[in-house]
Amino acid sequence: MAGVTAAPASRSSAASYAPGAAFIFKKALISALVALVLFSLMIGVRTDAGPDGQLTYWTRFGDLAAMVATVFGGSIVVELLRQWWGPVGTVRIVPPSVQSGLAVARRAIAPLLLVFTFLVPVIFYNERYILDLGILVLTYVMLGWGLNVVVGLAGLLDLGYVAFYAVGAYSYALLATNFGFSFWICLPLAGILAAFCGVLLGFPVLRLRGDYLAIVTLAFGEIIRLVIINWQSLTGGPNGVTGIPRPTLFGIPLTPGDDGLAAMLGIEFSTTHRIVFLFYLILALALLTNWVTIRLRRLPIGRAWEALREDEVACRALGINTTTTKLTAFATGAMFGGLAGAFFATRQGFISPESFTFHESALVLAIVVLGGMGSQLGVALAALVMIGGFELFRGLEQFRMLVFGLAMVLLMIWRPRGLIGHRAPTVFLHHNQAISSDLVKEGHG
Amino acid sequence: MTAPSATPLLAIRSLRAAYGKIEALKGVDLAINAGEIVALIGANGAGKSTLMMTVFGRPRARAGQILFDGNDITEVPTHEIARMRIAQSPEGRRIFPRMSVAENLQMGADATDCSESERAAGLERVTALFPRLKERMMQRGGTLSGGEQQMLAIGRALMSRPRLLMLDEPSLGLAPLIARQIFEAIRTLNRQDGLTVLIVEQNANHALRLAHRGYVMVNGLITLEGTGADLLQRPEIRAAYLEGGRHA
Repeated sequence: MAGVTAAPASRSSAASYAPGAAFIFKKALISALVALVLFSLMIGVRTDAGPDGQLTYWTRFGDLAAMVATVFGGSIVVELLRQWWGPVGTVRIVPPSVQSGLAVARRAIAPLLLVFTFLVPVIFYNERYILDLGILVLTYVMLGWGLNVVVGLAGLLDLGYVAFYAVGAYSYALLATNFGFSFWICLPLAGILAAFCGVLLGFPVLRLRGDYLAIVTLAFGEIIRLVIINWQSLTGGPNGVTGIPRPTLFGIPLTPGDDGLAAMLGIEFSTTHRIVFLFYLILALALLTNWVTIRLRRLPIGRAWEALREDEVACRALGINTTTTKLTAFATGAMFGGLAGAFFATRQGFISPESFTFHESALVLAIVVLGGMGSQLGVALAALVMIGGFELFRGLEQFRMLVFGLAMVLLMIWRPRGLIGHRAPTVFLHHNQAISSDLVKEGHG
Repeated sequence: MTAPSATPLLAIRSLRAAYGKIEALKGVDLAINAGEIVALIGANGAGKSTLMMTVFGRPRARAGQILFDGNDITEVPTHEIARMRIAQSPEGRRIFPRMSVAENLQMGADATDCSESERAAGLERVTALFPRLKERMMQRGGTLSGGEQQMLAIGRALMSRPRLLMLDEPSLGLAPLIARQIFEAIRTLNRQDGLTVLIVEQNANHALRLAHRGYVMVNGLITLEGTGADLLQRPEIRAAYLEGGRHA
């Protein structure tokens, strides 16, 4: 494999035939037709509420025609490009120097990203927006890493991860507002309660896999949300919980008062202090998640999770207790979700069931899948792209979702195993010889 | 051939098992003595693999008894049976394709309570037996050839230092030369370490040459048993399994 990289299979198949003009024209026509059907209502007709509340509509056939024509032209261009690329062949030679350079860059990216993250509050101290966005991204990095244990390592498709996030958030909120417990006592409690919920979910779904498991976990997420909405006496129902205490630096509050951190250090009080503190807090929590996951992967339990994803029957035949293995995966993932939830509650100061909809589960799952299931760095990058990118495209307004969806589709076409599809080995011998996922298919002999 | 000891290592008594309403084992009796290689041969669908899987509790026995070293394991959970150091290389090999060869081998030892040094010794033993695996250590299991995957499946089973090794069709889909290597490795294991082996095979010729004793299975019942050499000479065996004829 020295210096030789196999091109994606799609290209080799394109090389095997050379479609004529008629084929291209036909293909473009079909694409245009699909676009016409899709856009006729989306773009062709606009509706609005009239002055008296009645529905008014007007047509925009000009825009529609332009759109369909663009699709037609674009389709021809894409097909021509494909033909032009196709005959290049299936083998690309990459110079060894470039390859080794890429390998160095790949190894350096994680430490560099970490150093940069540590410096974010220093560099962007006066930019509240960036700091808030950083906290949001890190929260999703942590959620992604937590879900990665369940989905990426153990291969259990969980669509209800937000339930554990909610359990963690409500655990902290209720314990703190009702009993006055401090954040640092509530944090482990939130983790434990969420882990307990993970086991609770784990038991009924022990025998389920794939689609069936996804449906049950989806339902579980909804059940938790509905319980929160309807158990008004405890959770406040749709009104949520307000006045959740802010975290303290081991007992020292970050307030302008005399006992606050600023007064103790003799510096002028600023609300940014709290934001910076929250930033480092979630960074620490996320790194803890990462560290624990990396450690567990090298232990028999982590190996058992991955083996479970690969082949449950073989696991059992090797003496792995699949019941406890699955439950620990659910519990571990749920615990990290719960910790992130507690952080979310203390950051917001207010939580309501609206924050814990299926949308959140889907977003976290998308982060894990796009990142490359099982890859820690991939999940972090995906969270950065998904949350950060979403903010980046804010200027595009209603087209934001469109751009976003398009980006996801393209990513899945070009990198079907996610941003970082390569799985790092956990057992090392004399040297570490990594094999890119592009090079190998899951063959069966 | 080793002299049969008082109690066989594995004793199966009038074992019945079924998939739903279809009865796959209709009262099977079989015994494997310590230090023996026993071959179980039979046509497709005779129940050979089912017998092997029933020892592991999947499917559970409907009736009858399975004794391992004198202990009744008929109702013991699958993973605990594996921990009693019965290892298997299952049908279709079932290695972990996305995990490296080294990780696959470690999985074999994970459930057993063996120390780091025993792990290392086990790895040494497997790589000595199958040098090809050593070259492939950091490669993903799914990238191995069929023969290498079979070696990996057997190697993984050996990592738990089994007292009984059960192999389901180790020669299936392999080039004859590779199949011979695998059989040679099994013979070495038996001679050097006194490993007890149950080998389920359609390739009757190979299996019976290798085995001390053999059982022939037809439609969920044992119809014949004897020494390997003896069974090879039987005209009905030759007709059914060696010369391509049909068993009457």
